[in-house]
Amino acid sequence: MRIGMFMREALRSIRSNAAISVAATVTALIAVFILGAFIPSFLYVRSAVNVQQSKVDVDVYISDTATVAQVNSLRDRLSGLKSNGTISEMTYVSKDDALRIMRARLRDPSVLDELPSNPLPAKFNVKPTDPENADAIVAAVKNDPALDPTEGIVYPQSTANRLLTAAKFVQWAGFALIGILLLAAVLLIGNTIRLSIFARRREVEVMKLVGATNWFIRWPFMIEGVLCGLAGAIMAVGMLWGIKVGVVDAWAAGADSALTKTDSPSSITFPMLTVLLVGAGALLGAIGSGITLRRFLRI
Amino acid sequence: MATIDDMHDHDGADRPTFTLVQVPDEVPDEVVAVSVQPTTRRRGDVFRPGAGPMVKFENLVKCYDGDVRGLDDISVSIAAGEFVFLVGPSGSGKSTFIRLIIRELRATSGRVIIGGRDLGELRRSKVPYLRRAIGCVFQDFRLLPDRTASENVAYALQVTGHPVREVRQRVPEILALVGLDGKGDRLPREMSGGEQQRVSIARALVNHPRLLIADEPTGNLDPDTSQGIMDLLQRINRTGTTVLVATHDRDTVDRMQMRVIALEAGRLVRDEESGGYHEETGEVLS
Repeated sequence: MRIGMFMREALRSIRSNAAISVAATVTALIAVFILGAFIPSFLYVRSAVNVQQSKVDVDVYISDTATVAQVNSLRDRLSGLKSNGTISEMTYVSKDDALRIMRARLRDPSVLDELPSNPLPAKFNVKPTDPENADAIVAAVKNDPALDPTEGIVYPQSTANRLLTAAKFVQWAGFALIGILLLAAVLLIGNTIRLSIFARRREVEVMKLVGATNWFIRWPFMIEGVLCGLAGAIMAVGMLWGIKVGVVDAWAAGADSALTKTDSPSSITFPMLTVLLVGAGALLGAIGSGITLRRFLRI
Repeated sequence: MATIDDMHDHDGADRPTFTLVQVPDEVPDEVVAVSVQPTTRRRGDVFRPGAGPMVKFENLVKCYDGDVRGLDDISVSIAAGEFVFLVGPSGSGKSTFIRLIIRELRATSGRVIIGGRDLGELRRSKVPYLRRAIGCVFQDFRLLPDRTASENVAYALQVTGHPVREVRQRVPEILALVGLDGKGDRLPREMSGGEQQRVSIARALVNHPRLLIADEPTGNLDPDTSQGIMDLLQRINRTGTTVLVATHDRDTVDRMQMRVIALEAGRLVRDEESGGYHEETGEVLS
């Protein structure tokens, strides 16, 4: 009953202050749209970085002249790194395996038949639990006698380092930007609602005069803020949906099929994003009007 | 801090109703408003029944910023059921006096005691309940412009948590009592000044206030309309409601011969049981 009355009061105030309500809605629309475009992009980039990070692996090449004992000692050393958590996976690739992989990769495998012997060394392929561990792995085995003198240890060092920097940057810049965006949205909506309340401060005075409690006055304004926030959020979600279907999906379908493999970067699902944005819109409206009202209720 | 629970403070069981009382014939076209005074305490009521005067100022001083004296050492007492005029030139402190009563302002020193309550000790969250017990009427009516007469009156009832059904019943009743029968659907801008003031009186009355204060209620009205409003206030007073009217309206004060409290430059210069508007010379018209 009471909620019904506050609803009616809120709708009345939206009707009688149509211009300001539209302004608040558009503000919410813009804030939520920017947020809605940014969050999936941020998550996509972060996920892309993670996928690349998981691909950083270290190849430890074994000299053809190494004895079985030397190879075993190298294996033990790497196993030690695995048990202390530096390495997540290690696989032994024999000379024959290496040749088979090479053969599979070549367009014309027949060229390999020309070779007098298998020139490819055997190797341990090692996946670090974290790309940051790559240096530690190199340090641990670089003087091992079993290492192949020419190949040694190979890992994409510069790629790894660049990825690490990028990952950290994306992470922090993303969180900071989301924070700033949310703050800006609250302030913008608050400011718009301040206009609405300022236009009606005489009305608030009258309400206080007849003995309305602060919450009695506040509820309709909060509901008004929530309704404007919701309306803006729903429109923003609609626009984002249009962009997703019209631009992003079309682009993804036309892009290299590698992008759609299971380990390709992923982002937030659209229904999830919708829930998040609509919730954010309502919350922005409520907080915006709640904060703004405080000043006007001190009569 | 007020909570939502504060709004549900009326259970409806002990609410008094309005009764119509036969009016003397010299008042032709109006129904007399008689509100039966609440005999039982309402929940959330800040007044203490039977606690001496309705309004009591003790050595009250109100200073505005920069040591401007709004009111200076005022001691005055208004008993329950009195009708009192508060007179004085512009800037003499009449409005300050009234705003102190509804605690829009707080005393700098001294005490304001309303219905047995020291307002200096009243918690901020209780101020709405104080205002519900006091009906207020102003020169500029202070109606909500986008609401009809009925909705304006209804708002004062909704604020105190009355159920919709009861609001629907009481609003037309009270509008009829102030002489606005059938005009409930008009917006303030569609009504004359006198009619708007009647709406504001209806709104002030609808919660059965023990104290009705009016700040220049006839300031914007022509003499005939003013007299109608004053008659209405007087009839309200006859039912037991304490009425305090701040006014410039010399003729009315002289005609009605009620208690007059005169302020000048923030000081109490005269308090007479039955008098007229004070001439500058100090001569009392009576």
